[in-house]
Amino acid sequence: MASYILRRLLIAVPLVFGVLTLTFFIIRLAPGDPAAFFIQPGISPNVAEQIRQQYGLNDPLPVQYIKWLGNVLHGDFGRSFSRAQQPVFDVIAEALPVTMTIAVLTLIANFAFGIIIGVISAVRQNTFLDRFLTVTALFFYSMPEFWFALMMIILFALKLPVFPVSGLNEVGAESYGPVGFVLDRIWHLVLPVTVLSINGAAGIARYVRGSMLEVIRQDYVRTARAKGLSESAVILKHALRNALLPVVTLIGSSLPFIFSGALFIEVIFAFPGMGRVTVEAIFARDYPLIIADTFVSGTLIVLGNLMSDVLYAVVDPRIKL
Amino acid sequence: MTKRSNRASAFFGLLLLLSVTLLSSACSKQKGGTPLSTSARDSTLVVAMLGDADYLNPVIGASVTSGNIAGLIYPSLLQSEFDTSTGLLNYLAIEKKLRPSSPGVASRSPKGALAKTWIMAPDNRSITYILRSDARWEDGKPIVSRDFKFAYRLYGDPVIASPRQQYLAELVGADKGAVDFDRAIETPNDTTLVFHFHKPVPEHLALFHTSLTPLPEHIWKDVKPREFRESKLNMKPVGSGPYRLVTWNKQQDVTLASNPSCVLPKPGNIRKIMFRVVPDYTVRLTQLQTGAVDVVENVKPEDFGALTRANPGLEVKTVGLRVFDYVGWSNIDHDYFHKTGKIRPHPLFGSPAVRLALTHAIDREAIIDGYLGTYGTICNTDISPSLKWAYDDTIKPHACDPALAAKLLEKEGWLPGPDGIRQKNGRKFAFTLYTNAGNDRRNYACVVIQQNLKELGIDCKIEMQESNVFFENLQSRNLDAWMAGWSIGLEIDPLDVWGSDLDKSRFNFTGYQNPRIEQLSQLAKAKMRPEDARPFWVEYQQILHRDQPVTFLYWIRETHGFSKRIIGEELNISGTFYNIDDWTLNPSANAVR
Repeated sequence: MASYILRRLLIAVPLVFGVLTLTFFIIRLAPGDPAAFFIQPGISPNVAEQIRQQYGLNDPLPVQYIKWLGNVLHGDFGRSFSRAQQPVFDVIAEALPVTMTIAVLTLIANFAFGIIIGVISAVRQNTFLDRFLTVTALFFYSMPEFWFALMMIILFALKLPVFPVSGLNEVGAESYGPVGFVLDRIWHLVLPVTVLSINGAAGIARYVRGSMLEVIRQDYVRTARAKGLSESAVILKHALRNALLPVVTLIGSSLPFIFSGALFIEVIFAFPGMGRVTVEAIFARDYPLIIADTFVSGTLIVLGNLMSDVLYAVVDPRIKL
Repeated sequence: MTKRSNRASAFFGLLLLLSVTLLSSACSKQKGGTPLSTSARDSTLVVAMLGDADYLNPVIGASVTSGNIAGLIYPSLLQSEFDTSTGLLNYLAIEKKLRPSSPGVASRSPKGALAKTWIMAPDNRSITYILRSDARWEDGKPIVSRDFKFAYRLYGDPVIASPRQQYLAELVGADKGAVDFDRAIETPNDTTLVFHFHKPVPEHLALFHTSLTPLPEHIWKDVKPREFRESKLNMKPVGSGPYRLVTWNKQQDVTLASNPSCVLPKPGNIRKIMFRVVPDYTVRLTQLQTGAVDVVENVKPEDFGALTRANPGLEVKTVGLRVFDYVGWSNIDHDYFHKTGKIRPHPLFGSPAVRLALTHAIDREAIIDGYLGTYGTICNTDISPSLKWAYDDTIKPHACDPALAAKLLEKEGWLPGPDGIRQKNGRKFAFTLYTNAGNDRRNYACVVIQQNLKELGIDCKIEMQESNVFFENLQSRNLDAWMAGWSIGLEIDPLDVWGSDLDKSRFNFTGYQNPRIEQLSQLAKAKMRPEDARPFWVEYQQILHRDQPVTFLYWIRETHGFSKRIIGEELNISGTFYNIDDWTLNPSANAVR
């Protein structure tokens, strides 16, 4: 397995690199100018030119590419255009933990809710409860996240003021003490994590239900029942374990979805995470930051896929890598 | 079997409910229970902002937000006040005013100024400031004239690329390519600061252009220009204004605290001001409604009713008029100009009579009634009714008159074709009206205009473009018709927009050329007193009204939502936070300090 992982990682290097090169050219060929902000009446026409000079945008594209390549090979992704010339990895280092917190919580909630709903649907196949859960799951699955987020805000922050509308902490949260501060943070995370995870959980529930239905009909489940095991032992110990095998691999592949979902959620809930960094970088045509964001999310997606492939082999001994 | 799983799901459900209630109750206790947090909110003003500040450094800060915040941290040479009865900007030093304040107009205390007084040379080629000697930077070092000279060098350094280098355009040497700082700015002693110009400059412009914010030389002197933008010092600004920076969580919030050592003019009344980044408009409104923030700028008129009904503790304040929307028509054939460098009229919009017809066809009142309500007023030219000293109030707006529009078009040869669309020499009157995506107001106006033109036999398609794309297309003069807007400066300077040299006038997107407009602008700018230039500006407005290089649509009153717990806010055309250091919070006044 180790050699398999190593091989995959080696393949990932040119893959990620190819993605970065594509991004490099696409964003530069797209209309828009990082210095556009400085082109307005009252600002000397020289300013935009000086800014472009600073950013190295006056060189021909191939020269820019070669310079960029040299820097990236030295591990230098440059400085952000739009965020006070901070090194892009500093920007990402500030933003990534926020998004990772949301992603991990969402992942946990996704699977917890998804598995529970899926198992109930499968065990009660074709009952009213199953149909109700199926329709509800599809309802949430097909709902756009940004809209759902706004509806949740209107419902739970405006009509029933239970949760805060946005931000990571209350004003003056520093004075709550460490425990209070963390609780305040969690309290602020409830709505966004719910919005993000309901969508994913609905998908996983459908998946678990299908997988569970297949397993319940297997001979060994009948045997387990025939042995006189209690229903919960049959379902939770014998059936669920096997039904979860294909589901586990979803962990890796749901990462990209959570990341793209975070894009909307972070803008709406005003979280300073990767999603917002990316959106703002794109609008500001902040080339180095866009590339660094692509690098981070690209790497995470490649690693996520690798993880799901490896997990397959880990949970199912019949599969050899 | 069913009973058991029933029990299991009920158990999970309970667990969930429990954990959620626990969490929320724990936190609401935190929120409401501890007196600390209550008083923290009571003495903190929270302002929602759309995006983070870029730099809290007056030399390179470019966004309005940065300017607002830096303005509270840094001292200023002069105080400025906008005289609403004349529309003129007034400048104040401690012992001198450019012109007396109009009676009945709220006047600003001059005590925030660093300058005691100024002397304008009789030939208008230099200005001398006498600075007060008791002003100190936050670290206790005195503020001296050298700090200004030092800062001006930074403003003028092409490597630093300050967006304010235009202010230095009249200093000695600027006419030859680079300001000669040794000759242009003199500092004979700590409290005397002299600026020399290469040409006579009207006093009000001299004051405007020499009142850039200083930087403490002793702190910044070792920072190389190349490293200026990335310097760590940008994160801890040392100023001397009514507020100082406490924390700056990038992309989250900027917190300022009243600066107890401030004498310019005094420490800010409100103990803490927090600027919070809330990118989404709906969320900003919700926060204003729930009281999580106190100020939200640019609330859309359609949201006022719901907002003030839902929370009677809110009020909407308006300020204006600085912003207008217009429909731009290509006056010249841009394709032909790009290819040959020569000018010929645009096949559709080249004739002033056609443009006038289009203005008559568009129901501007309907757009205002339908969207802006009382917060909009018809726009005739780009000189704002707020600039009363220059505004020509005798101009009658071109009324919405489809019959007259049709007559004008027919006179120009645009006759209805078999499909109902007007045509002339085989060319249909059909075009695409471009605007930027995501602006509800322009969206609304576009649809009304499309309908108005359709009734006249003109085929107008609408296309929304992403802002960057739209702006680039405008800049490179790729669009035949578009809707956009301008926010005007308080000094009238229209040559960027109407100048005849299309290479120099970067914002002349229409290609309108009229030598008299240029002449009038030059004549007006040469007057040493702005009031004396009124006749020139009146003629300027009459020409624009006649030629209709664009269809001016409406002036917009900017509308901002405020919590009523703020006392003493005075909105002014020069900014929402014009006198924020004088605001107080009710009932927190007692809880403060």
